[in-house]
Formats: sequence, structure tokens, C-alpha cells
Amino acid sequence: MSITVTAARAALAAVLVAVTLSCSSTPPLRGVVPPDLSSAEPSVRDQINAAYAAIASRKTDANAYGETGKLLLAAEFLEAAEPCFLNAEALAPKEPRWPYYLGHVYKVRAEADKSAAAFERARLLQPDDVATLVWLGNEYLDADHPELAAPVFGRAVSLQPRSAAAMSGLGRAALARREYAEAVRHFEGALAVSPQATALEYQLSLAYRGLGDVAKADSHLSRRGDKDAVPIDPWMDEVRGALHSAVASENRGLSALERGDYRAAVDALRQGLAYAPDNAALRHELGTALFLSGDAQGALNEFTEVTRRSPGFAKAHFSLGMLLVSQGRFGDAVDRFAAAVKAEPDYPGAELQLAEALRRTGRAADSLSHYTHVIKSDPRMPEARVGYAIALGRLGRYGEARRTLTDAIRALPDQPSLSQALARLLAAAPDDSVRDGRQAMAITQALMKQPHGVDLYETMAMTLAELGQYDQAIQWQRGAIDAAMKQGHADLAGRMAANLTLYERRTPCRAPWRDDDAP
Amino acid sequence: MSGKFHYPEIIGSGAAMFDMDNDGDLDVFLVQYVGESRLFRNDLSNGKLAFTDVTRQSGIVTHGNGMGAAAGDFDNDGCVDLYLTNRGPNQLFHNNCDGTFTEVPPKRAGVAGATEGNWSVSGAWVDYDRDGWLDLFVGNYVKWSEAASEPCHAASGRPDYCSPNVYQPLPSRLYHNNHDGTFTDVTANAGLAVEYGPALGVSTADFDNDGWMDIYVANDGQPNQLWRNGHDGTFRNAGLRSGASLDASGKAKGSMGVDAGDVDNDGDEDLFMTELTGEGANFFVNQGAGAFEERGVRSGLNSLTTSRTGFGAAWIDVDNDGWLDLLTVNGAVQTMEALARAKDPFPFHQRKQLLRNLGNGRFEDATGRGGLAFELSAVGRGAAFGDIDNDGDVDVLVNNNNGTARLLINNVGTKNHWIGLKLDKLGARVQVMLDDGTSIWRRARSDGSYASANDPRVLVGLGPSARAPRVRVIWPDGKTENWSAVEIDRYTSLTEGTGK
Repeated sequence: MSITVTAARAALAAVLVAVTLSCSSTPPLRGVVPPDLSSAEPSVRDQINAAYAAIASRKTDANAYGETGKLLLAAEFLEAAEPCFLNAEALAPKEPRWPYYLGHVYKVRAEADKSAAAFERARLLQPDDVATLVWLGNEYLDADHPELAAPVFGRAVSLQPRSAAAMSGLGRAALARREYAEAVRHFEGALAVSPQATALEYQLSLAYRGLGDVAKADSHLSRRGDKDAVPIDPWMDEVRGALHSAVASENRGLSALERGDYRAAVDALRQGLAYAPDNAALRHELGTALFLSGDAQGALNEFTEVTRRSPGFAKAHFSLGMLLVSQGRFGDAVDRFAAAVKAEPDYPGAELQLAEALRRTGRAADSLSHYTHVIKSDPRMPEARVGYAIALGRLGRYGEARRTLTDAIRALPDQPSLSQALARLLAAAPDDSVRDGRQAMAITQALMKQPHGVDLYETMAMTLAELGQYDQAIQWQRGAIDAAMKQGHADLAGRMAANLTLYERRTPCRAPWRDDDAP
Repeated sequence: MSGKFHYPEIIGSGAAMFDMDNDGDLDVFLVQYVGESRLFRNDLSNGKLAFTDVTRQSGIVTHGNGMGAAAGDFDNDGCVDLYLTNRGPNQLFHNNCDGTFTEVPPKRAGVAGATEGNWSVSGAWVDYDRDGWLDLFVGNYVKWSEAASEPCHAASGRPDYCSPNVYQPLPSRLYHNNHDGTFTDVTANAGLAVEYGPALGVSTADFDNDGWMDIYVANDGQPNQLWRNGHDGTFRNAGLRSGASLDASGKAKGSMGVDAGDVDNDGDEDLFMTELTGEGANFFVNQGAGAFEERGVRSGLNSLTTSRTGFGAAWIDVDNDGWLDLLTVNGAVQTMEALARAKDPFPFHQRKQLLRNLGNGRFEDATGRGGLAFELSAVGRGAAFGDIDNDGDVDVLVNNNNGTARLLINNVGTKNHWIGLKLDKLGARVQVMLDDGTSIWRRARSDGSYASANDPRVLVGLGPSARAPRVRVIWPDGKTENWSAVEIDRYTSLTEGTGK
């Protein structure tokens, strides 16, 4: 490696000066100056230095410039990447990749006009490349030229009718022109082929709002997310895979995790660890990817290794705890969550799980202070408030549980889990002064109008039983059991059978929550 | 700079322009993250500015780790008090009306913020319940401590400052004024604990024209919030439904500074916020009743600002032509490649921008005509806006990271006519009725921008018109009064109960 670096450094000196060419048939080229690599990862430094050395030895080779530009683009050295791609384009004017990558350089630099011009040059060379068309259209939109964007996206759709990126581009162009009905058509088309592109839901809601359809606008707004529709883009995939380093591998691993490709995530994160074996965050991410890919033992090994190497790395303790919970080992999980909270006292997620594990292992009294701290630390977490109420119930303090939930609903009115917990308490608390079947029914009926899960069927059954309507309670409880079975939760269905037996005996439920109930 | 890329180093502090001694001119408070914040008395005489550092005799002693300032008369004694946000417990200073201040003990005042791990940035005084007393909204940012500081890297592996999503956001706070010098934290009861993000900018206005003040919160990397006043002490986040949370593509940007103003002179308040390099500014045009359309691209503001990371910003009528223009102060939060390559020791600086309202929904870049001040490159953060030399146009006080503060004096505005109104209530709305039947709407405010307090006086540019206009004031309690023929080219005090 040292020989490579030395050679590269020697070559750099030659490249620092603007390259002038003796051959009259070669176009004039720009000087290519390496970026400041002094604090880059060593492997990145070596790669980029070697690329500049290649330029120095092949001064008229478009590929040498272009490949260097790709590395620089990947490392986000955009100022340095620009002349490399310009030279590559000058030397190989029929190669569409170089103006295409230039378009991306300018795009990231937020120079919309230059970006559009570069993508236009790429389009001339390869008119049917959908990725080029989509990026070009996006640049036209960003430059407030929807009239130019629309035909470009239209061409992309004609070439690739199931491209959600192209269809959503047409939608954005229509939205910019305030042609709302057309925008709805395109966004709905894009979402039909790519329902995971949840960012489009927001734009669809804007289009419906433009049409005056508030109900549909709200409905799509509630489904909005962050995932956009992007074109299939092998050339940019090459850039994303170009750098060999811990950070680049981690980024690739995290991207793979985000798109649900857990095996690819494992591979990328393992590569990253080869560069930085002491990187606790990276090893923790590898553990997560292993767990998600189904390798629980592998995950356990990696999490354990992180806690051994970096005892203060709270997330690893937390993940280890969650893994143990998934195996039903709540007692062991308590220790892990406690270690996470000790390492990072202000870690609401870990402390919530600590409280949960304590409650589930019969230590409801111990759990209360942790729930209280979580609620204070992150008041948005309804799970902590429900868990606190359940713990109070375990301690027989049903009146306090009711007050807790009532206050919680006031603080977080849009959280159905709180309302359902209150409904259960009102329907099934052993304390006569706490139960109120009618109020429980009102709450449950309101919740039925919203999206809900199997557990609400069970709540309805509890409520009906409290009101003495056992036949209906039996129907709802059977419905809950059937639904649980259909969803593959046979164990849950089995536990639900106990309440069914109660109702068949004309006996109300007097346990709002089972031991295994999670908020 | 520690060289360790500690996150607070790159965020930066604000400034305040407020008349602390009631002598009719604006004094200056500069918030410092490292060391003591400073108060400078303005000894304006015959249009000539002179400042004296009066920090020591003022009684203001700051803790350090200062972030921002909010100025408002919370006890209605006629003197402007000062609330300082910190990374750590916040501080409230009561103005003794004699040029000195007394710190109200945080526990007594009840506005210290969540103490452990607290990081507040922008505060806003606002009478949200129309009881005639200023309440306080405090925008809180993220949990950060040196011990739990996360290492972050650029794509090349170079260490760099993190993005805010690495950290857990802190809930913002609303404090109700108890009318006795103390406050009650009503965050949860007001419904504000339900949703929060890493808040950097706060602007209050009556966005839906229902007569009650709403609160807009600019979050860094998460959806912004528009807390609509429910008239009963509660608020509901209408940001997403009103179209004022995200850009037109549905993306949450890194919002920093924010300001509300009637940009299109249609009688309702529009919103602008500064964003990260590459994102471009958000510009939400109020379509009436609090429904917004994001017009960053259409107005040209997006492409004009996309090369900058903006912090302090405000709608100001720079040239007093009756249309609100924009001024932004800028500075990156992650290493700029070109500056790093040039071995710049602090490779984050950028130039300020002046964006002129063309009156047709579009803006032009007037930075090049702004003078030498706009050629300076700095890591701009807080900016306070006000007429510091009392000549009838808006000047700008800029607080820079790792650099000297700058005071930008406006030499353009006085070429047109203007009226200046001193209203004794923050949040009062002003309708200036012109001879041609059109109106200009403005609001008395000290909030907006980033971590800074602005001149609460209302300046209205009249263009070449030398006719004294009629003025209608809608006070925060909903009462309306009229004044006919308010004198031009001078400041006039309008006190509630003295109009018609």
C-alpha cells in the first residue's frame, strides 16, 4: 500500500498543473486538482490518489478522468469532480455517462440550469434512458419550467409505463401548472405501481386539495411518508458502490436496510467492519441487519461483541435486550435494558423497555418510576402512559390507572391506544367504582370508526360482557380469535380463548390486560 | 472551534434590538455561546450612532452557552424585559426601568425550561389568550451533551458536524403569564406536547385571521408546525393540513430562521424560512383562512437561496416601496469543500443575501446592489432587524459564528416616504389605507428571524406618496381603532384607547 501511495503522490504533482496537450486533435482540457484528502479515510485517500495517478499516466483517456470523477462524486468532492467529468466529456463526446454524471454533480450543487444542460447533453446521446429523462425533468421543475418538464416525463412514461418516478414527475408538472385533476391521475398511477413511495401521498393530497376534495386530501395526507419514487439508475448505483471504506460501506448498508434488502445490508456492513473493526456503531448496525435477516444468533454475537468492546455503547445493550425479549427472556432483558439506561440515562426508548420488562416479570412496582421518567422525558410516547396504567392495574390501583389514562388522553388526544386502554379498564377493572360499561362502549364504538386491530374486537367483547350482552360478546371474541388465527397468531388466539370461556359461562371479564399485553 | 466537531459550535447565537432605556432608540444585545453576552446602549444623537458597553452596570449576568434573546414587556410596566435562551437553563431579566435589570430567579419565574439537557434557541413573547399579558413560547432544539456526542463523517470519511436527526428533539414550551411576575408551564394542557421537532425558529401571527395569535415553529429536518389557536388555551397543529409544513414535494427541510409578513399585500401573513444549502428556501403563501401554498420555486426564492444555508432572516421593506423584501444571513453547517481545499480555518462562511420583492409574486437577487456589507463572507447566524438610527428604514444587526458582529445600515429606504408606528402591544395588526384604495398590512412583532429579537415598531413604506394615510389598528384583544392622517416620515405613538 505504501508503494501505491508514494507513486500516487508523485503522480499528483504532475496532475496539479493544468493538463495541456501536444496533440492538436485533442480538445483543450481543464486542470484537475485533487481535493483536500488530509482527513479522509485512508482507503478513500488511496483510491482517489490512485485515480489521479491514472490520469497522470493516461492524460487523454476519457475513462481515467471519468472514473476519477465517479470516485469524487461518491466522496462528495463536487468541485474536484466537475473538471474530471468535463474532461471526460471533451475526450469522449459520444459517451453519455460523462454529461450524465456532470448533471448529478450540478444537481447536488443545486445549480439547476447547469444540471439541466448536462442532462440534456446526455439525453441527446442516449434519448431513451429513463433515468436521464427523469432527472432532467426534475431539474426543469426545480427551475420553474413545468412546461419543459412535462414532455420529458411523458417520454419517460412512454418508454417505461410502470416507472413511478416518471409518472410522479408528470404529476408534479401538472401540480405546478395547477392542473389538479391531471396531477391526481398521475400520482394515483405512480402509487398504484409503487405504493411504498409514500412521499407521493403528500403531493396527491395537495392535488385533491386543489380540487376541493378535502376528505380525500386528508386521507392521503394521513398516509404520507418520506420514501420517494426514484428511477432505476445503474450508473448512479456504480457511484454508490465506488468507494471502499467504512463510511461508504455503512451508507450502503443503511440504504439496503431501508429498502429491506437485509442480506445486502449484512454484506455491506461486514465490508465496513473490515475497514474499521473497532467501530461500535457499525458493528451494532451489522447486528441489526443480521437479526432482520433472520440470523438471531449472529445478531446476538455481534451485539454481545459491541458491549464487550464498548461497554458504554447504550444502543447495543438495548438491542441485546430487544433480542432477548423476542425470545421471551424478559428477566435477562431487564439487565440489558438497565445497562443501556445506565450507559445513557436519557434514553427513553431503553427505559420504556426496561419498565415493560420489569412489569412483565412481576415487578410492576419497580416499573413505575421508569415509566414516569419516560413520560417526563418524551411526552409523545403513548406506550409509556399505557404501560404505566397497566402497571398500576397490576398493583390493584385501578382508580389511579383510570385517572392516568384520562389525563393522558387529554395530553395526547389523537392516540387510540390510550382510549382503548381506558375502555378496557372501564369494562373489566375488578374495582366496581372504576368500571363504567356505557362509557367503555362509547369509547370503543368511536374507535371502531378508525383503523384498528384485533385487540379492539376483544375490547368490544369485554365491554359487551360488562353490559350483560354475552351473546354478542361471544361473537366478538370469536371474531377476535379468528382474526388472530388468520394473521398467524395462534398463540394469541389460544390465550384469547380464556375470555371466550368466561362469556360462554355468562361471566364478565375482570382482567383488563393479560400478563403478556404490551401497550 | 474545539476541533472535535461538537454540535453546538456550528449552530450559533442570536441578537436583540430593543429599547432598554426608553430613550426612543434601539439598544443592542449580542448573545454569546462562549463567554458573557453583552448589552450595548445606543447613544444616538443627531442621527449619529454611538454604542457603550453597559453589560456590567446593567445587572445582566449570563451563564454562557447563550443561544437567543426574546424581548417583551411581560409585566406591563412600560419597560422591555429580556428572556435569554441557552443550552442549559434559560434566564429571565426584568427591566427595572432605570437602565438596569434584575434576574428573576428561574424557579420563581417558572420559565427556566427543562433544566437537564435543555437546549432552547428561539423564544417569542405572545399574548395567546388575549388577556393583555405577554405569554412566552420557547422553541427547544435537541438533546446534546459532550459525553453522548456522536461522531459523524462526510462521505469521504472526514469528520464533520452531525445532522440534527442524530439527536433526540426536545419538546418546546408554552408558559402562561400569571400576571404576578411568574409563569406556569402550560405546554401539555395547551396540547403542544403532542408533537414536536428540533425547533430553531419561531414566529407568531394570526395566520387564519380569526383574531387569535397562532404559533409557527421551524424545525430542523422535521415537519414544521403551525399551532392554530383554539381560543380556549389550547392549540392544534394545523401545519400539514394547511400546507405549511413541508415543501411542495412533501419533504421536510432543515428550517432555521422564519418570518411571517404580508408579502403580497392581500391582508394575510405569509411565511418564509431559511434552509440548508441545496434545499432552497420555503415560501408559504397564505391563501386566506390559514391555508398555504408553497411557492418557493414559482417565486424564484428557491433557486435564489439554494446555494446558501440560511439562518437569520426577515421580511423587511428595504426600499420602503410598500412591498416586503427579504434579507438572509448565511453560513454552512458542514464543511464547504472549496474552502477546505483552500485551507480556510473555518470553512463554513457564506455571503448574506438581499432579495427584492418585485410585487408580482416573484423576487430578484439584489445582493449585488446591497453594498460592501454584502460582499463580506461570514458564518452568519442570528440577525435582528430594526431602525437603529431612527431614520425610517430597517437596519440589520448580524451575529456571526467565530467572527465579529456586523451592523448593516440601510441607506436606501429613506429615498421613499414612510410612517413609523409605536404600538404598545406586541401582536397588534396595522392596516395602512392608501389613497388609491389599497392597503398595507403589518404587525407589531419582536419575534421571527433566528434566535433574535427585532424592533417592535411598525415601519411602513409608502413609496413616493407624500399623503398622510389613514391607519386602523386591530389590538390583540380584538378591539379596533382608527387614526386619520398619520404624519409621514416620522414615528407616531398609537396607544390603545386613543383612536376612534
